[in-house]
Amino acid sequence: MKEQIASVQEAAMQQISSILNMKSLEDARVSILGKKGSLTQLQQGMRTVSKEDKPAIGALLNEARAIMTAALDMRRDQIQLELDEQAVADIDITLPGATLPMGGLHPITIVKEEAVRVLRRMGFSLSDGPEIEDEWHCFDALNTPADHPARNEKDTFYFDSGKLLRTQTSTVQARTMEKQSPPIRIICPGSAFRRDAIDATHLSAFNQIEGLYVAKDVSVGELKGTLEYFLKALFGTETSVRFRPHFFPFTEPSFEIDVLLQAAGQQPRWIEIAGCGMVNPAVFENIDQARGTDIYAGCTGFAFGIGLERLAMIRWGIRDIRLLIENDQRFLAQFQ
Amino acid sequence: MNISLNWLASYIDLDGLDTQEMADMLTFAGIEVEGIIERGIKSDLVVVAKVMEKSPVEGSDHLNICQVDAGEGSLRQVVCGASNYQVGDLVPCALPGAILPGGWEIKEGKLRGVASNGMLCSASELGMPDAEHGLWILDEDKNIGATVRDFVACDTLFELEITPNRPDLLSHWGMARELAAITGRSLKASPAEALVHQAQTVSADEDAIKLSAPELCPFYTATRISGVKVAPSPEWLADRLVAIGLRPINNIVDITNYCLFELGHPLHAFDAAQVTGGLELRQAADGESFSSLMEKDYILSDGELLISDASGKALALAGIMGGLDSGVSETTTDIILEAAWFERSNIRYSSRRLALSSDSSYRFERGTSPWNVLPAAARAIDLITAIAGGTAEPIQVAGQAPCLVDESNAATATVLEQGSDAKIYYALDQVLLQWAELDRMTNGSIPHLEAAAILRRLGLKEADRQGRWDCPPWRLDLKRSCDLLEEIVRVYGLENIPSIYSSVYVEESAQDRTHDFCMAIARKLAGAGFWEIQTFKLIAANSIDPTIANLKYSFPFKPLMAGDAIHVSLPISEDHSALRPSLAPGLLSVAVRNLNQGVESIRLFEIGRIFRNTGGGKGKDIEQEALGILMAGKKSPSSWAQLKPQDASFADLKAVIESLFPNALITMTPSKPRAYIAIGADVQINGQPCGYFGRLALDACRKLGLPLDASYAGLDMRKLQQVATAPFKVAELPQFPGSSRDASIELPMSTKHSDVVKAIVAAKQKLLVSYSLKDVFCDASGERIAADRKAMTYTFLYRDAKKTLTAKEADEAHQLVLDVLGKKLKDMQLR
Repeated sequence: MKEQIASVQEAAMQQISSILNMKSLEDARVSILGKKGSLTQLQQGMRTVSKEDKPAIGALLNEARAIMTAALDMRRDQIQLELDEQAVADIDITLPGATLPMGGLHPITIVKEEAVRVLRRMGFSLSDGPEIEDEWHCFDALNTPADHPARNEKDTFYFDSGKLLRTQTSTVQARTMEKQSPPIRIICPGSAFRRDAIDATHLSAFNQIEGLYVAKDVSVGELKGTLEYFLKALFGTETSVRFRPHFFPFTEPSFEIDVLLQAAGQQPRWIEIAGCGMVNPAVFENIDQARGTDIYAGCTGFAFGIGLERLAMIRWGIRDIRLLIENDQRFLAQFQ
Repeated sequence: MNISLNWLASYIDLDGLDTQEMADMLTFAGIEVEGIIERGIKSDLVVVAKVMEKSPVEGSDHLNICQVDAGEGSLRQVVCGASNYQVGDLVPCALPGAILPGGWEIKEGKLRGVASNGMLCSASELGMPDAEHGLWILDEDKNIGATVRDFVACDTLFELEITPNRPDLLSHWGMARELAAITGRSLKASPAEALVHQAQTVSADEDAIKLSAPELCPFYTATRISGVKVAPSPEWLADRLVAIGLRPINNIVDITNYCLFELGHPLHAFDAAQVTGGLELRQAADGESFSSLMEKDYILSDGELLISDASGKALALAGIMGGLDSGVSETTTDIILEAAWFERSNIRYSSRRLALSSDSSYRFERGTSPWNVLPAAARAIDLITAIAGGTAEPIQVAGQAPCLVDESNAATATVLEQGSDAKIYYALDQVLLQWAELDRMTNGSIPHLEAAAILRRLGLKEADRQGRWDCPPWRLDLKRSCDLLEEIVRVYGLENIPSIYSSVYVEESAQDRTHDFCMAIARKLAGAGFWEIQTFKLIAANSIDPTIANLKYSFPFKPLMAGDAIHVSLPISEDHSALRPSLAPGLLSVAVRNLNQGVESIRLFEIGRIFRNTGGGKGKDIEQEALGILMAGKKSPSSWAQLKPQDASFADLKAVIESLFPNALITMTPSKPRAYIAIGADVQINGQPCGYFGRLALDACRKLGLPLDASYAGLDMRKLQQVATAPFKVAELPQFPGSSRDASIELPMSTKHSDVVKAIVAAKQKLLVSYSLKDVFCDASGERIAADRKAMTYTFLYRDAKKTLTAKEADEAHQLVLDVLGKKLKDMQLR
């Protein structure tokens, strides 16, 4: 019996070591360990073994079954491993990705959101106003005289109703001061319209962000400090900012703001980026008069406006402003 | 405006003031320097050369081979393309190595194969104003070989942008005055002041000057100068005009121009022989015609102010331009010199209306000071009699300088006096300076003594000890305390005022929340593979170009009635004439543009304002924030992994909307047919009407060149925000398992999913927690199901919140639902 066990085991181990696939492995398992398998048949021979030899032979048979089972399992794992390796062996991981539809935000939205985020961090909240405006909110309230060049049909879009498309987001200054009471600290991103012919640097509709701060004793120093903070947050902490006196009817004194930009390999250049100034007292008087109040008496404030197209053009080196309204996907896809 | 530094130096000492330093000073005083042009020749390799021989280059119609004597002992060969010179002329020759303005270095080279060892130059090539087209022909007294630099005057030209509040800076004297205030340098004697003191003035009677429109011209002076000799201007005068870009004409016209650019007040000279009788300042008759000296004809309206003579002949369009026949010509011997004040808004109106502007109208429409009328006249008379000879009569004065001072100040205003027999009075503005305001505005950073010194430098005078200041007569813009504060801050310099940063608490506004919502939607859509676009809000009322946003492809929330679209009165082009009532036109035009570039998958959205009138043009104009989404063509771009991606269908667009609001119930109610829409529906979110959804008419797609399955959704952002931001509490997760049952029902083709949904809702089965459509099956051949019928398979989930549902309970509940479906849905059969 001992010899029989040894010979069955040797034959089985040889068979297992030569197995190459799962099918022959399962066949081998049946032919060795199955009901009619070689080892099972030996086990059936236990009946003929003497009582005193039974424990030893039984132990031998169990040991042989354990060894063969383990050998089969090991071979199965080896074959599975080989199969798994084969399954991925031919994959070319350098293949391009399958395509998903791509999307993204418009560059004007990106710069607008960035500016809005900074300004809200600085304690400004958003305000709003209509784009179809009346002359009072667009011009009169903002101290623009009746014979001002902007106030004619060649520069401004009028409607038959006498209303117009606002020429600047500064209208929101008047709209907000009409409704709210000081202190006022608002911004308004929005569109403005001018009857300019469209070319590489002009659009007849463009986007601005307007800002207004009105309270008691707002100073020129605060105007400077606030806009320096804003522009450094937009262009980088090291950015130099300068203020040049200018003229706007609704602020006095008025300034244009330049930032010093350094493009790679170029001399740093001062680039005009925004307009600002201290709210002209006439604007406060106009609003108070319209409201029938004097809540703006003794108030001072500052206002500023920044063009978003210009911001985008400077930031990404866009040479032709029309790209911003043509919405060519080859252009849009560059802003991820 | 162009300012010549040589000219400017006649009025202020500029020694030691570097050009860049001066540019910075002007810039930080609010005068924008748009350009600086250096005139004159830096290189000593540009020499006087005499053209000795000239022969054409073979095969060229304009090039000549010149042999020139540049004083080198032998002749130099230069190829030249100009045509205005002859053998024997002296011209500037740039020798190899010379560097011309713009950094251009002259080298030996070949032109058409002919050696050219230098360049014969025009004046402009050397940075000088051109007197004629072609080479600069030098005077015969120049020595051959002499360095041109040595006899050419250098000059620097500043191109300045003057803001509209500072018309007093539109002259060399005005700029010198400002520069003196900014730099603290002293001003030289005024070119006119002494002359004004000697000026002889007499009152003009109505026969001489009649002011028929005193509101447009209240003050007019005319001076007859007899026996003048009209001739070219002397070189110094012509040079100054050429330097700032003007063309010299004759001594009389040049002097009036010179005075304009010197003192800032426009003048005009008439040929007295062309004037019959006296002058009249009158409004034009409606339809009256006028021929300008530029030989252009204009039809006038009664808004225009004319200067005419006693015969009624129009001599000039007041303040804008002289007439064709009334000007000074070579045969003129007697002139009438006009110096007057015109009301500015009328000049602006006329100049705009006639599209006619001049250096004169530019100044009048910005506002001239009546105080400057007599000095300009006196200066011109002095120059004319000195240069052109002749005898001047006393200055005839009609009317009076208008009082531009606030009425409340007029009584106490300081009054200046000009003239002899006829006195001209000019009242000064007096402004009370609020020192406390200055301290507040600048945080006390500007010492009062310094502020007062700045005002004095600007020509203001303390009128009393209470802080009242007399403003100088040339500064019409100084009216209020804040105007003086601006002057102080401007001249003191903003860089000297310390920056402060502080903030106050401001609560979040409704617009803050709207902005955040819009950004969230935009980011979600971008993440879902849509490009955000931004298009013009002004679209075409009618265009045949599919790449132009077209009003007819508007699909607003509610259909447009006649007159609901808002049109601008005077569009720049027909392509931008109406305010968009929907985002669809812009989206479609961008889709077409991108399809033309080979894009195969159109997935676009725009968030922005739309406009309409609520009552056919008679109601209110309303503005709404909208979201527009357009899908057409392939669902995704094709790739090696997916050679033929599916076409997007309306269900894909609906899925996108559903993904924006995953917890909301989105329903589509089929709506009345609309133009250019094949199938359309009103969109409800949680029962709230929120917008419009449509698949474009196939014919419209074909006309636009779009894929045939284009779908558009237009949604109302305000409504969406209400739905999306409505407060809610978290639902508890179910404790017990549910049990699902499928049902496949056969229905007529015309029955809609929404009909089935209505029937399911009507069953009011409490155990039914959800249901969904799993499959829609039809067979056009009629083999597997009748061709006019469809099979819809739904899955129903039943659950009891308090216990596990038995199979029997679930079956019973399901049967009750099926019973209701059978009753409510016409012609339904279970499969």
